[in-house]
Amino acid sequence: MNLGQIISGAGHLALIGWAVFGGAFKSEPLPFEVTEVTAISAEDFAALMDGPRAPDAVANVNTPEPPAEGEGAPELSSTADAAPDNAQPEAAASAEPDSAPEIPDVAPPADAEVSDEPPVLDPPQDDVAALVPDVSPRPQPRPAPRVAPEPVAQPEPDVTIDDVDQQEAAPAETAEPVQEDTEATAREEATTEIVTEAEENDVANAAPPRSVRPRTRPERPAAQDDTQPAARPQTDESAVNDALAEALGQAGGEGQGAPQGPPLTAGEKDALRVAVQNCWNVGSLSSQALRTTVVVAVTMSEDAKPVASSIRMLSASGGDGAAAKQAYEAARRAIIRCGAGGFDLPVEKYDHWRDIEMTFNPERMRIK
Amino acid sequence: MRVFLSLVLACLVWVMPALAQNGPLRIEITEGVIEPLPFAAPDFVSDNAAGADMGRKIAEVVAADLTGTGLFREIQPDAFISRVTSFSSPVQYADWKAINAQALITGAVSVDSAGKLVVRFRLFDVFAGQELGQGLQLVGTQDGWRRIAHKVADQVYSRITGEAPYFDSRIVFVAESGPKDQRSKRLAIMDYDGANVSYLTDSASIVLAPRFSPDGERVLYTSYESGFPRIYVMNVGSVQRRVLESQDGQMSFAPRFGPDGRTVVYSVSRGGNTDLFRMDIGTGASTRLTSAPSIETAPSFSPDGTRIVFESDRSGTPQLYIMAASGGEAQRISFGQGRYGTPVWSPRGDLIAFTKQSKGRFHIGVMRTDGSEERLLTASFLDEGPTWSPNGRVIMFTRETQGAQGSASLYSVDITGRNLRQVPTTTGASDPSWSPLQE
Repeated sequence: MNLGQIISGAGHLALIGWAVFGGAFKSEPLPFEVTEVTAISAEDFAALMDGPRAPDAVANVNTPEPPAEGEGAPELSSTADAAPDNAQPEAAASAEPDSAPEIPDVAPPADAEVSDEPPVLDPPQDDVAALVPDVSPRPQPRPAPRVAPEPVAQPEPDVTIDDVDQQEAAPAETAEPVQEDTEATAREEATTEIVTEAEENDVANAAPPRSVRPRTRPERPAAQDDTQPAARPQTDESAVNDALAEALGQAGGEGQGAPQGPPLTAGEKDALRVAVQNCWNVGSLSSQALRTTVVVAVTMSEDAKPVASSIRMLSASGGDGAAAKQAYEAARRAIIRCGAGGFDLPVEKYDHWRDIEMTFNPERMRIK
Repeated sequence: MRVFLSLVLACLVWVMPALAQNGPLRIEITEGVIEPLPFAAPDFVSDNAAGADMGRKIAEVVAADLTGTGLFREIQPDAFISRVTSFSSPVQYADWKAINAQALITGAVSVDSAGKLVVRFRLFDVFAGQELGQGLQLVGTQDGWRRIAHKVADQVYSRITGEAPYFDSRIVFVAESGPKDQRSKRLAIMDYDGANVSYLTDSASIVLAPRFSPDGERVLYTSYESGFPRIYVMNVGSVQRRVLESQDGQMSFAPRFGPDGRTVVYSVSRGGNTDLFRMDIGTGASTRLTSAPSIETAPSFSPDGTRIVFESDRSGTPQLYIMAASGGEAQRISFGQGRYGTPVWSPRGDLIAFTKQSKGRFHIGVMRTDGSEERLLTASFLDEGPTWSPNGRVIMFTRETQGAQGSASLYSVDITGRNLRQVPTTTGASDPSWSPLQE
């Protein structure tokens, strides 16, 4: 018998002993409820089981005897009411006037304890679920007489209507160069869609157009802001634009006859487009002209003003000759009107915007 | 994200040299503004003393016509920098640009030796610095100065908008007076702007639903003169009238001319059933178009005369249907909630105007001829009876106010739903019918 067998035997014995004597095969007692009971005698139990008995049916009911026939109606006699005593009460003696109340000395209120420090308010809770009302009045678009791509709120009454928003400027007291007085201007009030009389009072669509969208992640704690870099990183779009400009700048240098320098960025093109569309008035165009797309070429002077004599229609599609003519004239008015003061274009990129082709496509303006 | 951006940038740097701008800058404008076009209309200069006051009045009517469309805005004369003293003097474009006048209308008035009124006018595109179209001269009687002014405004309107004109047109309507329960009605005719009202009938009997012929010289209408409704046709110039053929005991109403001016469609009510008929107005021969047990009424021809839109309750509620002008199976085109009635085909042929009753209110609306793109243009206690302007751009209709003291009046609205305005009339007015453009 080697050592391993001895150890194995001892271990098995120990395990068996623990299982037998250690209570491994004992089961927990089943749970049971304890209810208090009261012992009663047999008489009490019989009395309880008898219960209240229903009363015996009543066989004889005493009914009042009807009045005997022939009895005459009782004689009625009445006496006149005595006249009420209308004796006037004696005049009451006038009451003595009240004595003036004694005014106790009013002690001045004690000075309230006022702290110079403003109370600290708990910051508002950001993520608070809000119930959307069942029915809320739909915000009606205002029937402004002007329809524009961007809604413009009603300007102040004393503000001059212009194509651009502009703050009022006055000469500063400390400034050395003379600054011209400039009136505050604002764009004319506009709405983005035509609102008919029938739609103004439309309550059928009174439900809110969208519900409050829950936030997907909590706000970052304020402490983390300190760790952010001071300079805000460039947005993706501007980074792409810069990279585009840089790439095209290299390309321009390599091409022959191509404009020098970086081309216009998307933002600069957008600014030009918005400037022209703000003057492109299609309200006076015929239905046929509103189906006509025209491509108009214009040559710009270096001060970013269109050369009126250079404006010409390159092509038209979607309408007949008369409609194309109306559409072209509206486009020409837009270019000249909004270019009268010069478009906001970078001078260093003049080669890129000397010649411009503008496509005026009124498809989205037919019914708004 | 950074890796992705780097990859995008790398691709762009590699691709862009090939895409470098090698021509003009190209941009696309897809959104504009809708606002009235500002214009200046100085008083027309007088070439002789006879036309002294006429120049101012004609300029006023021209300006009122253009402003009334909602597409134009008049710049008041006190804002003018330049003064037009001669019809042929050069235009100071800078002065008109300064006040943002995009269009300038100048004109001259004179009376010739024959007593005729001679009006000349020119139209300028101020910002383009050039004349729009050629100058035009119009000659007419002095009494007809308003018509000449409307003609000038029509030319300006058409040259700028490209739409067909409509100012030189008339309205025939039912003039109403008296309280609702004792209202007298008679036929009246006026210019489209409410001027020059004259009456075609007296108020001895009730008249309803006058309708112009395509040439504007005759009017169909329904009268209760004989005790029950019968259709009459009247020559507007001579005020001569005659009753259209109809059998005794039949009620005929809701007549409307076909585009050929010879055919008339109308409703006949017999034994509680109402059906559509058409009649050759020259021979008096009539043809039955519908024979359903339901009520069919308010027929209106398409501009090409091949189809008829009408109102029928065959589905249980009044709806709009289209059928061939010779009759036959009809196709329902209105499917919205509410009741549809009084359909009228646009002169352009692309839209149908109608009256709709829904949720206790009345609307004037338009829809495509297949029933699509329904748009409600108005809403009130009672709007009904639309009629189209000759160019199909404006709709005129009757609006009646609520209550015992309520009255009927005429309103007009652009087909976009903008520019809702009341047409001035001296009395109550209902049932308008717009004439074609006058020659």
